[in-house]
Amino acid sequence: MKRLCAALFILALAGGCAIDRPTLHVFTWSDYIKPDLIQRFEKENSCRVTIDTFDSNESMYAKLKGGATGYDIVSPSSYMARTMWRQGMLQELDRKQVPNLSHVDPEYLKIALDKEMKYSAPYMLTVTGVAYLKNRVPNLQPTWAVFDRTDLKGRMTMLNDMRETIGGALKFLGYSLNTTDERELAAARDVVIRWKKNLAKFENEQYKTGLASAEFLLVHGYSGDILQVQEENQEIAFTVPKEGTSIACDDMVILKDSRQAQLAHRFINFMHAPQIAAENTEFVRYLCPNLASYPLLSPETRSNPTLFPSAEVRQNAEVITDLGADNAKYTKVWDEIKAAE
Amino acid sequence: MKRNRVPLVVTALVLVFFYLPMVILIINSFNASRFGGSWEGFSLYWYARLLNEHEIWAAVENTLVIGVAATLISTLLGTTAAFALHRYAGTLQKAHYTLIYTPLVVPEVLMGMSLLLLFVSLGVDLGLFTIFLAHVTFCISYVAMVVLARLQDLDFSIVEAARDLGAGWWTATWRILLPLLAPGIAAAGLLAFTLSVDDFVISFFVAGPGSTTLPIRIYSMIKHGSPPLINALSTILLVVTFTVLLITQRLTQEKKR
Repeated sequence: MKRLCAALFILALAGGCAIDRPTLHVFTWSDYIKPDLIQRFEKENSCRVTIDTFDSNESMYAKLKGGATGYDIVSPSSYMARTMWRQGMLQELDRKQVPNLSHVDPEYLKIALDKEMKYSAPYMLTVTGVAYLKNRVPNLQPTWAVFDRTDLKGRMTMLNDMRETIGGALKFLGYSLNTTDERELAAARDVVIRWKKNLAKFENEQYKTGLASAEFLLVHGYSGDILQVQEENQEIAFTVPKEGTSIACDDMVILKDSRQAQLAHRFINFMHAPQIAAENTEFVRYLCPNLASYPLLSPETRSNPTLFPSAEVRQNAEVITDLGADNAKYTKVWDEIKAAE
Repeated sequence: MKRNRVPLVVTALVLVFFYLPMVILIINSFNASRFGGSWEGFSLYWYARLLNEHEIWAAVENTLVIGVAATLISTLLGTTAAFALHRYAGTLQKAHYTLIYTPLVVPEVLMGMSLLLLFVSLGVDLGLFTIFLAHVTFCISYVAMVVLARLQDLDFSIVEAARDLGAGWWTATWRILLPLLAPGIAAAGLLAFTLSVDDFVISFFVAGPGSTTLPIRIYSMIKHGSPPLINALSTILLVVTFTVLLITQRLTQEKKR
């Protein structure tokens, strides 16, 4: 009751009472930072960190665009970070204040949307790939051609996402998954239509439970999702097709109206200290693309292809970019795929 | 003569339709499995983990503080609004009624966005206080409607009789009117509390740093984080909501006697 009264009192003060220690406000996905690390950062910098969470890039964007202020660091996906930068919502990173960015994996930067880390620092990576049941699908070749296997007919799924699935076919044919060439797209369309005959369905959510219960034997899915299902069913293995795949990254960006820009830079620098990055990778179970942190990861993590995509995979992967008006080309092809028998 | 089975069947179907999803959610909160797909045995693991999730409990605290404060203020304002609507007539009260009624039918997204724009243009820092204001805004309407219904059933001759017998305005209000209205006010307050604790859309827009409420937290956990934790949390929430609802019903039933 006393606590409630105190809280109400603070409420009455419009929450505007000044706290001696500076506070850094982070706006991110839930369970996306190891809690111990936050405490360590608070202690080292004698500050406070508050974490608020959002459930999609779009709702976060709508809120900030609507004028919500007070946040310092946000972690949008790369495509959203670029949109925010173009809209002038972000600060340029002062590289002098974040020396640890020199540890960022150059292989990743080659394919990143913000190659010079002008306004964003990469935070966590995931890849799209193929998960399957080891005992039911022996000797699987890591290639997109698995979807041509008629012996798995009706027991496979692909993502119900036009960019991911058409992207898979484009990679299979040796094209870029961001192509806008209509001939290449038409070829990819024919491949996906061929694959579709062997698929149970296009599926974004249920493939996880379907794989865990062996309803599906092979699924196209996101590595983060597969890691969760692997805890359930030890037979699940993950592999990335050798032709390449899509890679997604959430970035750390500093908002233009941040009142704690210096502290925010220090936070990004802290998260990219190799030891910290390694600990965070082990906890969050996505990969922080910090080259110096790789040797510090446990052998278990390093040998897990779901968590730690090999250098080869990272090289062949591409980040899906927003194509603007050219998106319509993909929508058209996707409609044709959906309509095909 | 055979008794008509239709009402029984319809009741059963309605109950199943309403409550089966909740029953499944409650059962799954005791499922050791991370996904609802298969039953992996009874476990209190998710409840145990929930206890250690400090961010979730901070969100619970925010939600309760806002819920209690918003309920108190909106019950007070809503009751006085209902009283004014009932006692006075005229164009002003017609406009008043429309204004009170509108938030009930305005889509939440619209309300959330417009409140956000308002707060931003006024330069108010987003936080617990803005969520509190937003919740009071939509709770007032519900409170006013419930109390108004109660007032319309009330026999005002009792109050007049009290005044005739020498009670002053204050005594008549305090000793006669308020006790008669109390069940309606309490029911309205509980309704306001439930609405405040539930709200996601409006809260998401007007929340500021450090004021994440439980519904916001739950939504963000669906994408990242552990789904079964949400089951356990939802079960606890359901139990709380049902208790509150039962009390509300008790209070409304008294009215009929």
